[in-house]
Amino acid sequence: MTAAPLFKKVLIANRGEIACRIMRTLTEMGIGSVAIHHPVEARARHVTMADEAIEITGDTPVAAHLDIRQIIAAANTAGADAIHPGYGFLSENAAFAAAVAEAGLTFIGPDAQTISLMGDKISARNFAEAHGVAVAPSVMPTDDINDFIAKAGDIGFPLLIKAAAGGGGKGMNIVRTAADLAEAARLASSEAKRYFGDGRVYAETYVERPRHIEVQVLGDGQGNAIHLWERECSVQRRFQKIIEEAPAANLSPALREEICASAVQLARAAKYKNAGTVEYILGADGRFFFLEMNTRLQVEHPVTEMITGLDLVRAQIEIAAGKGLPIAQGDLVESGHAIECRICAENPDNDFMPETGVVQYLGVPEADWLRFENALQEGQKVSADFDPMLAKLVVHGSTRSDAVDRSVAALHDLSLLGVTTNIDYLARVLDHPAFRDGDLHTSFVQEHKQALAAPPATGLSLVQALAAAALGYRDFQDLALGTPEPYAAIGGWRN
Amino acid sequence: MSIRLTVDGVEHHVTVARRKPHLVLLIDGVEHEVSRTPAIGNGRNLMAVGGRRVEFARAEVPDKQLVRLGGRTFEVGFVDPFSTAGGGASGADAVKAPMPGAIVSLQCAPGDSVTRGQPLVTIESMKLQTTLAAPRDGTIAAVLRSEGDTFEKDEVIVRLEPESEKV
Repeated sequence: MTAAPLFKKVLIANRGEIACRIMRTLTEMGIGSVAIHHPVEARARHVTMADEAIEITGDTPVAAHLDIRQIIAAANTAGADAIHPGYGFLSENAAFAAAVAEAGLTFIGPDAQTISLMGDKISARNFAEAHGVAVAPSVMPTDDINDFIAKAGDIGFPLLIKAAAGGGGKGMNIVRTAADLAEAARLASSEAKRYFGDGRVYAETYVERPRHIEVQVLGDGQGNAIHLWERECSVQRRFQKIIEEAPAANLSPALREEICASAVQLARAAKYKNAGTVEYILGADGRFFFLEMNTRLQVEHPVTEMITGLDLVRAQIEIAAGKGLPIAQGDLVESGHAIECRICAENPDNDFMPETGVVQYLGVPEADWLRFENALQEGQKVSADFDPMLAKLVVHGSTRSDAVDRSVAALHDLSLLGVTTNIDYLARVLDHPAFRDGDLHTSFVQEHKQALAAPPATGLSLVQALAAAALGYRDFQDLALGTPEPYAAIGGWRN
Repeated sequence: MSIRLTVDGVEHHVTVARRKPHLVLLIDGVEHEVSRTPAIGNGRNLMAVGGRRVEFARAEVPDKQLVRLGGRTFEVGFVDPFSTAGGGASGADAVKAPMPGAIVSLQCAPGDSVTRGQPLVTIESMKLQTTLAAPRDGTIAAVLRSEGDTFEKDEVIVRLEPESEKV
């Protein structure tokens, strides 16, 4: 006897690769899928792949995907009994979660209260601190500079002094020794006064060469939570991740255990329900501090799936349906190493400027150790309407070095022609000795800027490319292969 | 008779040197035998140059071909033999949008004298602001968009007065 599906039909309040990825799991679980789309994306893959699709409207496509009232109406029209928000859009919108619940539907995520708690940086930090999770030591602004100096000294060094009203690096100083503190604080305060008319400053621990480490957690909403180990997402540009991996490179088992335990502690304290991610900043000295908690499925969740063999979307659905956690912490088995590369429509040689175009050709390598998460179709217009991320290439290997080699090979064989992408740039990052050594930090892209620039086109491949291009023009090929003289003698060709 | 192509702004020349017994192309003055000719059209393809087989993918877009080969995508531009000799004159008169977006602010007006590199327009696309600069010294002939206007990629935003025949 087959058990009844946990839900009849789930509306996916998202689009693109993540909507397609969620649908795969829904299908496996025997659950119907409902897509939503703005008129401009009527032929998008998430629409054609879904069992049903409902059009939503808005001044812009993004506005439509943020329209809570329309999305809930669509769910009701389709007879969906749950909504999966994916990532981005309304996935961390407490009002949306509340509206879904009010409409009598299940929100595949935490309750509105938890989203609000973790969505506000200050309340999340205070909650984390109150429950024993390490936050970066800091001293809040005060009018009394001497009192401030006394307290700041207790944080330890190096520390960063910033203008309370500040921004743009003004009134910001790194202090490395206690002897420099008083003078630096007064200097920062007077600068702050001059630039912002407010002399109050605050201090926090300065983390040098910080790494971005995050822990995947699952909570059942009853106070039970487990972790699925960590991911490293230190390689970023414009403060956005472009390469993620699991596990993190070169973490000692003890430190790893400590970070993961800290995340579980937070999830338990919050009686967290859903898959979630606790983000930390990790210093070269091994100290780590809570950054924030994302109360949704993460873009880079596939690397965790690859090393654990778990399906995180299935886990989310089971938890939302009240089935509890999919596995006990002790039963979790970790295998190998996984790397995700975010393929973006952008030009890394022009400061990662977004690019647009039409997908003319898509050639994807196939292997059982590779997932190419995408919703691309040949002929598809890549416009500025949505995020420039086009796809994710996720690769598993038995070791980190194996995963790097396989990722480089897969990027090499991946063709996405018609819009400029960062595919070749990603391969250069992975192949950089510092990446291979696992010497990662959030300024990796800036630090290695020169080494990561595209090398000039020379040599054999240039000759081959020129031959391929020249012979790609029919008139030239006719000439080359010996066309009747009168035609060849016309004296020029146009494409 | 040679075809002129560009890669990363560098011009290259490809000529048919001989057709028999095998096709030989003269590429930038060096002979290369092509023992297998690729098919016409977009997609995966195969050829052999200098006795080496090479797989590649190709797509044609206006004025250029995209050739992915050896883990690298080459944007190979086509220099139209019928365009003005020396090329570039018309291109250097136009300031085009590098991507679709909207005008944030204009820093020039018709009649202004500008110098090469001088910021002319601030645009925004996908929340990124960037500046379009004068491609050369000259005088602004026309500003074709106003603040708040949107535009597509490669649209001409500002036009310079053509350079006089003799400098």
